[in-house]
Amino acid sequence: MAEFNTSVKNQGDISLLYLNGYLDAHTASVLENNFSDLIAKDKFKIVVNFKDLVYISSAGLGVFMAFIEKIRENNGDIKLTSMSDKVYNIFDLLGFPLLYEFYKSEDEAVKKFEETDKLEK
Amino acid sequence: MNLKSIRIKHNIKLQLFLISAGLLFIYKMFFYSDTSFLLKLLNEIIVFSTVLFMVLYANDLFNEKKFTPLSLVMNLGILCAVIFLAVLFSDSLLPVLFGKISDTLKNPDFFFKIISFLYVLFFAAVVSQLFLIFKELHFLKQKKSSSIYFTTMVWFFLLASITSIMDFFPELSYIKNTFFIISIILIIFNSIKISWIAFITKKEKLSLLLLSVIICVLFFVNLFGSSHENSHYQIFSGFSSSLGEFYLIIMIYGAAYFMVLFFTTLFHIPTAEAYDRKAQEVSSLQYFSKLITQVLDFNELTETITEIALKVSNADAAWIVWKYERVLKPIAHKNIGYLDAELINDFIFRNKSFIESHSSFIQSLEKFEKRSQLNELYSTVLVAPIETHNEIRGYLAVTKKSDFIFDDEDKSAIDTFSDYASIAIENSRLLEESIEKERLEKELDVAREIQRKILPSKDPVYEKLSVSSVFIPAFEVGGDYYDFFEIDEDPDKVGASKFGFVIADVSGKGISAAFIMAEVKGIFESLSKTIESPKEILTKANQILKRSLDRKNFVSAAYGLIDFKREVISIARAGHCPLLLVREGKVVNIRPQGIGLGLNYGDQFNLTLEEIELDLRDNDMIVLYTDGITEAKNLDMEDFGETKFETILLDNSEKSADEISNEVIKEISQFSKHNTQHDDITLVILKWKPRQSAEGGRDRQNLKIHGEKEWQNSTPQLKTRVI
Repeated sequence: MAEFNTSVKNQGDISLLYLNGYLDAHTASVLENNFSDLIAKDKFKIVVNFKDLVYISSAGLGVFMAFIEKIRENNGDIKLTSMSDKVYNIFDLLGFPLLYEFYKSEDEAVKKFEETDKLEK
Repeated sequence: MNLKSIRIKHNIKLQLFLISAGLLFIYKMFFYSDTSFLLKLLNEIIVFSTVLFMVLYANDLFNEKKFTPLSLVMNLGILCAVIFLAVLFSDSLLPVLFGKISDTLKNPDFFFKIISFLYVLFFAAVVSQLFLIFKELHFLKQKKSSSIYFTTMVWFFLLASITSIMDFFPELSYIKNTFFIISIILIIFNSIKISWIAFITKKEKLSLLLLSVIICVLFFVNLFGSSHENSHYQIFSGFSSSLGEFYLIIMIYGAAYFMVLFFTTLFHIPTAEAYDRKAQEVSSLQYFSKLITQVLDFNELTETITEIALKVSNADAAWIVWKYERVLKPIAHKNIGYLDAELINDFIFRNKSFIESHSSFIQSLEKFEKRSQLNELYSTVLVAPIETHNEIRGYLAVTKKSDFIFDDEDKSAIDTFSDYASIAIENSRLLEESIEKERLEKELDVAREIQRKILPSKDPVYEKLSVSSVFIPAFEVGGDYYDFFEIDEDPDKVGASKFGFVIADVSGKGISAAFIMAEVKGIFESLSKTIESPKEILTKANQILKRSLDRKNFVSAAYGLIDFKREVISIARAGHCPLLLVREGKVVNIRPQGIGLGLNYGDQFNLTLEEIELDLRDNDMIVLYTDGITEAKNLDMEDFGETKFETILLDNSEKSADEISNEVIKEISQFSKHNTQHDDITLVILKWKPRQSAEGGRDRQNLKIHGEKEWQNSTPQLKTRVI
């Protein structure tokens, strides 16, 4: 079975979530737990880094859908960054770019979060 | 002397006994006190045969039962007490009845003869019973070879008894005396060989100690009570001197045996506990190894483990510390509350080095600061890891109250035991796994069956359109769905005027995907009957799915409608793979904008969804597929990919729809032949081929541009209108 693992880094109140490997029906629960943990800790500003993600299946995409509502209700967001063309294509086909913000790099996503914060203040 | 070897039928033994007893009675009636040697000899022979048959008969009754040593000892004691009482009774009663026995013996009357006959017969029965019980005792837990010692002893008993007749010639009495002394030596030798003592429990040993003293004393009393003055002995030896001798020898044997037994038991008492424990360990392990093959339920198994652990280690309480994810929790606690067990756990495993310890350890609770919070004042804990495949799954913990501590023996007992427990737990886990696997496979069978029934059983046939579809399910049902709908505007006209088609891929796998698929089919089937516009159908479908889809589930779909009269195709796409149009040697992606069904239920979905319409030309080929094709993988985990797919379509575009789909499937299976199929594969090829003669005047060179949208990478010829 293909491997999948994640790691989380905190940058201020923004959480950086790094994905690695194959995200499919069998490994989706790992990512689900990550999101649950973050939400439990009231971390709603999440940047997901796809740099090392090789493959994502429909079940993997579903994980993002499962939590986005709750996160946005709490003035947070999931921003997706640094993905390969192949992975982006999968998101793109399903119309995710119409629902989520995608960025080339992690920094852009973080900057976007910070800008929104400033505007709100 | 193996009594069994004398093979005479049971009732014949009884008959022989009765005959010889009768003979004895008659003999005694006539020659009670005859003093000639020959008659004495005859007397002894009849007495001997009577006793022999009695013993043989009684021995048969013995062999049918199994005795515990203690019950045999008890029997001996009772018999011995009976003799004691009988002697006491006869000593006081007989002289009253018959005067001085020694005088009466010389000149017995009829009444005395009968009484003495019955008296001696009774004692002969009791003594032979005693002898048989001694024999049973002797052979308890003995090896076969030891029977020779006993047999020799019995032979000398007999020789000493029989030669007592030589008292008739006082100068020959040394013969009897010799045999008698040898008998005594053999008695001592045989008494030392008490082998069953080690096998009884401490409690039994204690009661045996008391019993053996009493019985030993009784035997001695009986022995020394048999003096020449006492009337009991006088009757006995007057009746038959050898029987009197035999009686004496058995009394000596009894006295010696129980004296030795007393001391042996005394010496065994200190080690009795150790033996008890070993015996318990062995029986526990036996019990447990049986369990390994029997217990299916994990909870039941852990309960049994702690129950046996208590017995094995002589502990006061036991529980299992089980690893749930990263948390250690007490389960199956015996004689201890959950909270107490948890407190002790916290204390023991506070020290990190104990976690992941692969060997057992003993931890004192003296320094446990919360010890006073415990319901019981436990003093030490013995902990042994439970591991499967070198991975620690949990620990077995036993604890003792009071000041007793665990010793090395307890430790090794728990060590061995936890090994067994590990195996049992692993077995139960493997079993559970295989049951789960079977259940999953059954579930997948159901899912595949649902899918098979949902998908169209055959491709429709039209004059202007040929349709070819291929579906290859993955082992784990992938959730692919496609369908065709005939739409008749005018029921009187023969043949459909419009043709609707849908292709969809439900997120997830297995039975849950199959159920969503079934629902999606219902939605499209009913919507296609009332609505023509693909965009409208997808919008409605999205609204309906809102009610039933989980937040993390979604469906990618594409719906298309071919109008046979207008020769146009309209397509809307909700997150699905693009449709491919193969026209004039080029492949064009038809990819109108649209979000997958179930990803958004608001305006965003409705506002972004596009529908395009394009005119159809001769030999146009529309290809619908799911990502099972482009994501089919070879051994190096490379995707089959769009480029390869498109090349095959182009290379074979002149062929019929069926031939082309065959070609594609052939190539894919060739590509991924060494890898398993991860996802369903669906391929639908629609080929437009109007009749040669018809609509000849139609302008085929230029597609009218109805909308502004120009599709990415498309050839300049292809313009579509966005509705």
